[in-house]
Amino acid sequence: MQKLFRWASKWWPGLIPLAVMWGFAAWNNTLPVEADLSARSTAALKGTVLDKTRIAVDGRDVSLAADAFSEEGRRDAVMAVETVPGVRLVDDRTRLVPEAKPFVWNAERDVVRVTLSGSAPLPAMKGRLTEAARKEVGGAEVADQMSLARGAPPLFEAAAMLLLDQIGRLKDGKVTITDTKVNLSGMARELGGREAIAAALKNLPEGFSIAANDVKAPPYIFQAYKDPVAATVTLTGYVPDNNVHAAIVSSAGRRFFTEKVVDNLKASIGAPGSFNTAVVAALGALSRLSTGTLVVSDREVKLSGDALYEGAANDIRSGLGKDFPKNWQYKPEITVKPAAGPVDGTVCQQLFNDLLAKGKIRFAAKRADIDPDSAAILDHLIETALRCPTTNIEVAGHTDADGEDGFNQALSEKRAQAVIDYLVKAGLPASRFTAVGHGSTQPVAGNDTDDGKAQNRRIEFLVR
Amino acid sequence: MPYLVSFHLGWLIGSLLLGFCMGWISVVQRGNGTSKVTARWLAALAVALVAASFAHVVPGRFGYWLDLGLIMFACYLVGCTIGAWLRDRVVSRGQPAA
Repeated sequence: MQKLFRWASKWWPGLIPLAVMWGFAAWNNTLPVEADLSARSTAALKGTVLDKTRIAVDGRDVSLAADAFSEEGRRDAVMAVETVPGVRLVDDRTRLVPEAKPFVWNAERDVVRVTLSGSAPLPAMKGRLTEAARKEVGGAEVADQMSLARGAPPLFEAAAMLLLDQIGRLKDGKVTITDTKVNLSGMARELGGREAIAAALKNLPEGFSIAANDVKAPPYIFQAYKDPVAATVTLTGYVPDNNVHAAIVSSAGRRFFTEKVVDNLKASIGAPGSFNTAVVAALGALSRLSTGTLVVSDREVKLSGDALYEGAANDIRSGLGKDFPKNWQYKPEITVKPAAGPVDGTVCQQLFNDLLAKGKIRFAAKRADIDPDSAAILDHLIETALRCPTTNIEVAGHTDADGEDGFNQALSEKRAQAVIDYLVKAGLPASRFTAVGHGSTQPVAGNDTDDGKAQNRRIEFLVR
Repeated sequence: MPYLVSFHLGWLIGSLLLGFCMGWISVVQRGNGTSKVTARWLAALAVALVAASFAHVVPGRFGYWLDLGLIMFACYLVGCTIGAWLRDRVVSRGQPAA
């Protein structure tokens, strides 16, 4: 031992090169040690749930700043860094993310973008929600403005995911979760979208409830365009179901006697009440116009176009409103087509024949009441009669051979008179017209078939 | 400690060899070396530094450098002891033969 002390007293000169070595070692290794410890600490935190993690290493001391989502998570994170080999001290600068009260989450959609805002409970969930939104809206941009906060209700993610599914059904609008209350507003993308959203909301996770669902359906639109040049009536838009579809198309076929009906209608739910009645009435008015457009949007009916003569324009303007169900609005914009030039009696006769070859004046069965479907052809007949004001016209009624001759004779006379009454009411002088009934005495086809009988039941206009 | 050793192995071996050489020389070197008082002061200094290191009172990089210096110094001392002891054995074996 004595010896050791003696030797040791002579060891000090070696301290000088040792100090030099120490200096070099420190010079060389400080940065690598710091980088190594930083990498190891980062790796140790991989399994923990933190936000805004920042690791700074000074020598072997690690300063850990992060937002944790629970007290336990915070403790675990610090512990994980403390147990990294080589770390001497951990400066704990972690904190809990603030608690949101109430916990609010929003998803807002406009034409080009979905914006997610409010609070999300965890970074991973934030990512999943953004991803789900992106998937739901296809090409639209998704802006993530969510911040992280504690205090989310249980099953928050399930509720948010369900609501994000509904975002795809909205054209624009906003979905909000406030604690466990759900608010929706906006406009559904398609007809039926509002109903689909309401149905989906029944599957909200337990504990969540709907505070307000103000999603509006897009307007239920039906359009018809009468094009006299192409001789077509184009029907577009929606009808509630196939029965109404068939009823509307067949009604259009009866009323538009010179035009071809082009049917581009689609069936969809969401029609306003009494849709069928209103549309059929409006189509009747459109059929009386020489050219026109009908737009039915929810409970609003807009009809614009040219009537054949002033009386018809007035009739359409004033008369149609009463045909509509209550709560419906009728907005006519009817002008009168410029009157065609006068013609002589021969041309007039030819025009009457052409019109009556294309369409027929219809009556109720075995009665002399004019069917409202015949308004269009009557308007055309009146317009023609106005072009030859100096002529007298014989209106002749004919029936088929069914029933007794006496009855048929009387019926044909009454029907001819009913037509004259209609013409007089429209403003033509009664003195120009004579009613004649021929019963079934002048058939134009055999009375042995239904088709032949239908041809025999007719009204003829003869210029005298 | 194991991390410091493994990370700076080369430097520690260097310190050990330096100590070995110093110990080897010290056995046969003439002269008085440090006085007892100085030695005590140096020992007290070393103890104080070790205490500071264990208490983690020196922060950041200085703390790291202190730990590194102490561990190199410890290797140096071990090297010195081994070197001196071996030299002493070599010397004491040679004497009876002479």
